[in-house]
Amino acid sequence: MTDHDTETLRGTRRLVVDRSVCAGHGLCYSRSPEVVDCDDSGYPVLLHDVLELDEHIAAAEEAVAVCPERALTLESA
Amino acid sequence: MTVTEGRSTPIVDFDIYDPSLAYPVDTVQEKVAELAAKGPVVYSTAHGGHWIVTHYKEVHDVLRNPEIFSSFPNNLVNAGDGKFIPLELDPPEHTAYRVALQPLFSPNRMKALTEQIRSVVNELLDGFAAKGEAEFIAEFAHELPTRVFLALMDWPLEDAPMFTEATDIALMGKPGASEEESAQARAEAAQQMFAYFQKIVDERRANPGDDITSVLIHSEIDLADGKRLLTDEELTRMFFLLLIAGLHTVQGSLAWAIIHLVNRPDQRAALIADEGLIPSAVEEILRIEAAVIMGRRATRDVELGGAQIKEGDQLIVMLCSANRDPEEFDDPNTLDLERSPNRHLSFGAGPHRCLGSHLARLELSIALEELHRRIPDYDLVESDPPILHASQVRGCMRLPIKFTPSA
Repeated sequence: MTDHDTETLRGTRRLVVDRSVCAGHGLCYSRSPEVVDCDDSGYPVLLHDVLELDEHIAAAEEAVAVCPERALTLESA
Repeated sequence: MTVTEGRSTPIVDFDIYDPSLAYPVDTVQEKVAELAAKGPVVYSTAHGGHWIVTHYKEVHDVLRNPEIFSSFPNNLVNAGDGKFIPLELDPPEHTAYRVALQPLFSPNRMKALTEQIRSVVNELLDGFAAKGEAEFIAEFAHELPTRVFLALMDWPLEDAPMFTEATDIALMGKPGASEEESAQARAEAAQQMFAYFQKIVDERRANPGDDITSVLIHSEIDLADGKRLLTDEELTRMFFLLLIAGLHTVQGSLAWAIIHLVNRPDQRAALIADEGLIPSAVEEILRIEAAVIMGRRATRDVELGGAQIKEGDQLIVMLCSANRDPEEFDDPNTLDLERSPNRHLSFGAGPHRCLGSHLARLELSIALEELHRRIPDYDLVESDPPILHASQVRGCMRLPIKFTPSA
């Protein structure tokens, strides 16, 4: 986990999934349902565009960390 | 094990099908760790020669590059008397079958089975909780995935012993027999299963239900030759794969949960005290002993982990040592139920990621919850230790346990 001050990140980050790499393991939406849901085939559906809440940024970081395919990244919005 | 140093790649004679790897004592992890210590990719002279991929990074690379590493053949022996579908197909051919299957095993569909699975778990526990002892495989670990899976497919539960025998032979050959006899037995077991599934297909074509078997028979799939129903052969080869993939793996993981938690009373106590630990405990049990060792074949010359692999060379991919690679996991040989992150590869990676992973996780979670609620002080029986097996699906055949009897 990063030890930055999330105060400065609110509204500046977006969770992005690389669909060419995602294999539908489903760990992201199990771990971080606040920011990722799943579709009928078990692939992730991102629930927000820009992350406006501290807890959503923290949840997004966890989702990035659990992915065995490294398909998720937290990017600048 | 004799080892001769080759030009650049260590050469070994390791054979994952050698029964003495796991019996009388399971040494698979130890032996594979010795291979991993030699390098990320080593060469074995067994089975006509094949590469063994041992480190996390290289395992991941192989699994995520199907155009370089084809999934056929998956096995060093002819386990399925032909191709397993869709396991041994490559994209783009693989994709259509996968698209058809994935929704049937999706997280939401599996979650809907929660209470049904819980009642199977408790029914099995009711069978031995008051006795204070059980043979955990026959009475629980084998029965649970069998009942859940056969219900999902709507295959007759009374045929389970036949399924079990045929899949055992497919995976492990004939105990104590020669390689030729085992090959013969594998072919016969596969043909027996194909004939059996053919009967099921014929019957469901006429009388469809809402089970997965019926759905697959009646689904039109977007294949290379146009949108069409699956042929009988495609269906029977798919069903045989689902049977093999769905039963032994969960059985093994349930057994390893018991074995590893017996060895770590502190971790078990933490789990009993806090049910919130279950999801990460399941991941850690999966990590510490991956069941599956899949095969790949190089479609062109390629360098992997310092080894020069030639087009047509066979590889096997050791998930069990990838999951204990210190580059990816701190303190990898230690069971840590709170491990985070835990990006283990027990369900594989890439386009063939285990289709049943959502079901497997659910079965393991519910089993861990109920076992620790009802017989929390389970222990092994010193005079009758567990019997494990090697081969490309590792697992456990016998696991006597004892515990304080409960209602």
